[in-house]
Order: sequence, then C-alpha cells, then structure tokens
Amino acid sequence: MDQQPAQKQVGTGLPGPYSVGRYAGKLQEWMRERARVQLIGEVTGVGRSKVQAYFELRDADGAIPCAIWLNDLERAGLTDGALRDGAEVVISGGLDYYPGGGQASPNFCFRATHVRLAGEGDLIARLEALRKQLRAEGLFELQKQLHRPRLPKAIGVVTAETGAARRDLLAGLQRRGWGGSVIWGFAPVQDRHAAPAIGRAVQDLAARPEVEAIVVTRGGGSLADLWAFCDETLCRTVAMLRVPVVSAVGHERDRTLIDDVAAVACSTPTHAAEAAVPLDCIAARESLERCAVSLRRAGEGAVGTRSRHLGALARGPARALQRERGKLNQKIREIRAASERGLAERAASQKRIGSVVLERARNRAAGADMEKRQAALRRAMVALRAHEPERTLERGYALVEGEDEEPLTSAAAAAAAGKVKLRFADGGVRATINTVGDADGDGDGERER
Amino acid sequence: MATETVSVSDKPESYEAAVERLEEIIDRLDSGQAGLRETLDLCKEGRELVKYCAAELDEVGEGLKELRLDDLAAKLEVGSEPS
Repeated sequence: MDQQPAQKQVGTGLPGPYSVGRYAGKLQEWMRERARVQLIGEVTGVGRSKVQAYFELRDADGAIPCAIWLNDLERAGLTDGALRDGAEVVISGGLDYYPGGGQASPNFCFRATHVRLAGEGDLIARLEALRKQLRAEGLFELQKQLHRPRLPKAIGVVTAETGAARRDLLAGLQRRGWGGSVIWGFAPVQDRHAAPAIGRAVQDLAARPEVEAIVVTRGGGSLADLWAFCDETLCRTVAMLRVPVVSAVGHERDRTLIDDVAAVACSTPTHAAEAAVPLDCIAARESLERCAVSLRRAGEGAVGTRSRHLGALARGPARALQRERGKLNQKIREIRAASERGLAERAASQKRIGSVVLERARNRAAGADMEKRQAALRRAMVALRAHEPERTLERGYALVEGEDEEPLTSAAAAAAAGKVKLRFADGGVRATINTVGDADGDGDGERER
Repeated sequence: MATETVSVSDKPESYEAAVERLEEIIDRLDSGQAGLRETLDLCKEGRELVKYCAAELDEVGEGLKELRLDDLAAKLEVGSEPS
C-alpha cells in the first residue's frame, strides 16, 4: 500500500493518520489485486444470506472465511445440500474485503467464484505434495530407526471406540497368546476433529513409560474418509515420537501419509497386532520348552558321557594290569616249558657227548694206542730185565750177601760180617771170610771158601 | 573352548537379547565342541535365560488387560492434585 502520509505525527514516527474509510477502500483494492487461487478444505459453519452463502474452509492447520454469491453457487451446479458442514471442497477465487460503511460492519473473506466437491484426484495430488515434502525432510525414516520390542508388556492403540478395527486388533493379539495391557486412546477417525484428536492420543500414549508400541488403526473408506490420517501435523507428530507407531488405516490399497511416517504400515488391524507384538507367545513358549529340554540333555549328556568315559578310564589300569599279568604268566609258562625242554635236550646232548667220549676212550683204549703201550711195556720190560742181578750172575758174577741176605757191597762189610753167602746164577754157597786182602783182588789177600 | 567370558548373573537387556543368547548357547552345545567346563557354564547360563524368558512370557500370559487412556490421565490428575 503506497499511501502518502498527510502529515507526520510527532512522537511515533509513523505515517498518518489517514482517513479509515479511504484506507479501507485502498485495502480492498490491494486485496482484490492478489492472485486468484484454488483452495481445498473442509466446509464448516455454512450459512446463507439473501445474496450469498458463507462458510469457513478449514483443515487441521488453519481456516479462512469464505463467501460465494448465490448466483455463482448456482452456476457451480452443486446438488442441493452439497455445500454442507464436513464436505471436502475445492473453491476458486481470491481475497476480498468489504470496507463496511457508516452502519455496515467491515468483512474480510475469500470470495469464491466457483466451488466443487473435492475429488479423489485433488486429494491424491495434495497427498503427493505432502508426501514429497515430508520425505525430503527425512521424516519417513525416523520411526523406522526405532527399536521395536518383540514382547512388549503394554501397547497403546488409537482407534474409534466403536469401530470394527478395535475388535479385529484384540482378536489378533489374543491369537498370539499375548495377555499384556492395551491402553485405548479412543479418538474420532473421520472428520476435521480427527487428526488433532489422534495426534493428542499418540502423544499422550507415548508419554506413558509402560507403552512400548502404539497402534493407529481404522477400517476402510474413501481417501476423503481417511484424510485425517494424511494430516501434515499429525504425521509430523508421529514421525517425531520416540515410541514406534504401527499404522493400519483403511484397506490394503490405501496408502495414507501416516503409513509413510510410521515404523510399520500394515494392511489390516490383525496384521497390526502381529507387528505390535512380533512374538507369537504360544510358539515362543513351545520353543522355550524345547530349549530347556536341549539344555537339560546337554548338561546331563556332558556329565554322563564324561562319567562313563572316566569310569572306563578308571577301569583301564586294572584291566591293563590284568592284561599284563596274563601276559607275564604266559611268559612264565613259556619259560618254564622252554627250560624243561632245554634241560632235557641238554641232558640228552650230554649223554650223547658222554657216549661219544666213552666210545672214543674205548676206541683209544682198544686201538693203536694199546699196541703202542704194549710195545713200550715190552721195551720197559727188556730194559728192566737188563738190569736184573740174575742177568749179571748169569754172566759169571756172584752176589755177596750177609746172613740176613742183604747184599754186602764192600770188602769191609764182608770182613765185618765174617760169614757170608755167595749167590751164583745156579745157586748159593756159604763162605767164611778169613783174611782181608787188598780190595783190588790181585792176590795179595787170602780168602776162605 | 570358547574364550568368551559369560557372566550368568547379568540380567538380559530384553527378551530378544535373551533369546538371541539362548540360541547361541544351543548352537554351541549342539556343535559338540564345548568342553565339560564350558558346557556346564553354558547350561547354567541357558537355564537362567530360560527362566528369565519364561518370566517375561508369564507377565503377558495372564489375560489381556484393557485400560483407557482417559481414565489413566484422570487418575494421574487426581493423584497430582494437592491434598
């Protein structure tokens, strides 16, 4: 607005004061110059005057007063009653301002020149824009990074108090044998009050320390019916929660914005029950029992097997001793037998040797040796006979003997004996020694015969 | 012999952690590679884990309890009012 100041007020430094009527007129001009656009939102507070219909167009983030001339409304071709509270509509138009007058009140509104019921395409386009924005901000990933306990003790559930989703969810939980706590955060799930109520419920549930997961669910419907779950504020709230949220909104084909930001998106409340309590408690109990049995067997088996092994080892030395004793006895028997056998063989051998020796001795005695010995004997006998006195006597010598027949080998002995015996080869004679001559016998002595 | 030192007195962080450790123990025992001392230690630890898991399951085995957030919030408000 480029109003020129009439004069400057001392003190504030602001332009003016202006005439309010003129200012209001300029404001109207300025607003009408703004760009014409389309708005989408929910109709509330519909009213009619003689010339126009008025209402508020609202969503979870805000509202704006709207008006449409009745002739424009008729041209829009809406059926009677189509412009009603709760209707999701698209309006075309721009800002307008009624400056009022001396008696009339001023009024600001969005002057719609056309209105139509919002179609699936409008909602999808709006949803896609939001989806793109939230994805770009990374809000789809936050919940998915949260840890989801397999066995929560308590879960929060946001749903309609009278909806079928509540029943289906409970049935799903019970089928898993789960008997924890369900904290219900009942909220409307379809109208402009739904998104704020759902947002408050998830926040309150997340604030409770015992709640380990939150389920947000409702049954099927059109995208317009499910629109609360595409609410930007709600989805931003869910994305920032530190408790994992499981969404199950509408049917499988529906994909609301809360499904994108939630930790897990499920197609039905039953699936949501399985996602909120991932552990099948019935199967887990059976599995745990098997584990207990395995552990018991492992413990007993480890001790039992090793006990048997130890027992075997303990018996080992005794067995080894017995085995060695047996071997020893066998050796003793073998040695004894061998010894007896050896003695017998040795005796036989010695006997054989003795026989051979005796045989040899006998042979020696009876063989050439004997003849040699006989020859030697004969030679000895010849030599002996050669030295016999008789052989000398035979040659003419006589042996002088005393009375005692002992040989007298000297003249003195013979003289001393006086009487002697002379033994010749053919016999002996007695003689008496009369004189004693020379011993050389040359006739000097006289001998008695 | 495993070199990992296990303290059976440590309470598991969660049911998942307990089950995961229990599966490790069963696998190790099934492998037949654990010695006697390790086997006995693992069995002891395993029994503690089974006990813990059974207690956890028992906590959610006594029938589903339904509470209303509004009622809990109301009780909280009453409890927080100065007497």
